[in-house]
Amino acid sequence: MTTVYIADTGVFVRCGDPSNEKFQRLRRAVRQAGVSLVVPRRVYEELGGDPAAEAYPSGNIPYPKGFEEGWIVVADELDYTDPLVSTVMDDTRRWIANETDRDEDTVEKADTALIGLAAQLLDAGESDDIVLLTTDKPAGNAAEALLPGHGFEGRIEYRYVSEGYLETITASEFR
Amino acid sequence: MNTMAKSLIGRDRPLEQLQTVADLIETPALARIYTYTEREGPVTVGDLVDELGIPQGTAYDYVQRLEAADLLKQVTKSRPYEYDAEAISLTLSVDGTTTTVTPALIAAIAHVDTDEDVDVYVKRHGLDGLSAALEYAFEQVGGTVNHRIMARELDLSPLEAEIILQALEPVATAYTNAAE
Repeated sequence: MTTVYIADTGVFVRCGDPSNEKFQRLRRAVRQAGVSLVVPRRVYEELGGDPAAEAYPSGNIPYPKGFEEGWIVVADELDYTDPLVSTVMDDTRRWIANETDRDEDTVEKADTALIGLAAQLLDAGESDDIVLLTTDKPAGNAAEALLPGHGFEGRIEYRYVSEGYLETITASEFR
Repeated sequence: MNTMAKSLIGRDRPLEQLQTVADLIETPALARIYTYTEREGPVTVGDLVDELGIPQGTAYDYVQRLEAADLLKQVTKSRPYEYDAEAISLTLSVDGTTTTVTPALIAAIAHVDTDEDVDVYVKRHGLDGLSAALEYAFEQVGGTVNHRIMARELDLSPLEAEIILQALEPVATAYTNAAE
């Protein structure tokens, strides 16, 4: 039984205090559990794509250390030609637009990448279960609302990564 | 003097109150005093000194300024005096752009002193930027927006949007609950 933990940008931002205590705590929990955090390409780009963010204490996230140490990994590209992946992502786009009261055109593929990746991993049999660690509530809710309808009943769990969640996280969260 | 009469006086003098609100939005220490009293009141000046680490002389001075503008009111007759806050709701309209100064916005400004992420954000985007970000923080708490949509709508990077959303989350949470 394999569980894949998909982590969103907000998880790493939440770690970013000057002492990086929360980052160390997350690192310890993930490594002790012997798992890794998988980040979609889009999240990887968000984390590294903004020099301006370095002005912020919370923008100085030592996530490259996680890649070096191997407990954070970047996922494969999303396969948009896979009908299941593209259907799930289209459904998610509509769902998020509705939930956020935005025009469907303003919701982009990037917003649905977490769920697209979850569907891809489940469909390919690379994981039995997915845990989605995110601060993106519309995406988290969309995952739990939509993926069961695509044959993944009971195989997706969304966890909102609050400050308190990271302050108390241990390896038992990943077992 | 009863509360009603006192707040009516405040409403009768919007321009004088505007002057103090202007001080409030550019002086994070003043904003912290207002916010702490608004959340925890009634409080004494001693409480403010102890809890906020503001020097006693400054705390007395600031409390007096806020009281003179009817933003704080003394609620006990004997020493040590206790103070409570009056809710602010000041709507400004400039060339069709309307902003409302609310207790939540003052609470966000109070964070400039205590949260460097908020301080950096205000330096980069100004107080109007902070006010706009706070609206998104409320939406985020309610689950009706994410940092990616906010980034596109405010022309920020997703990372910067997420940083300020998280920094303002405690304010938005506190004032969402208060409204319920």
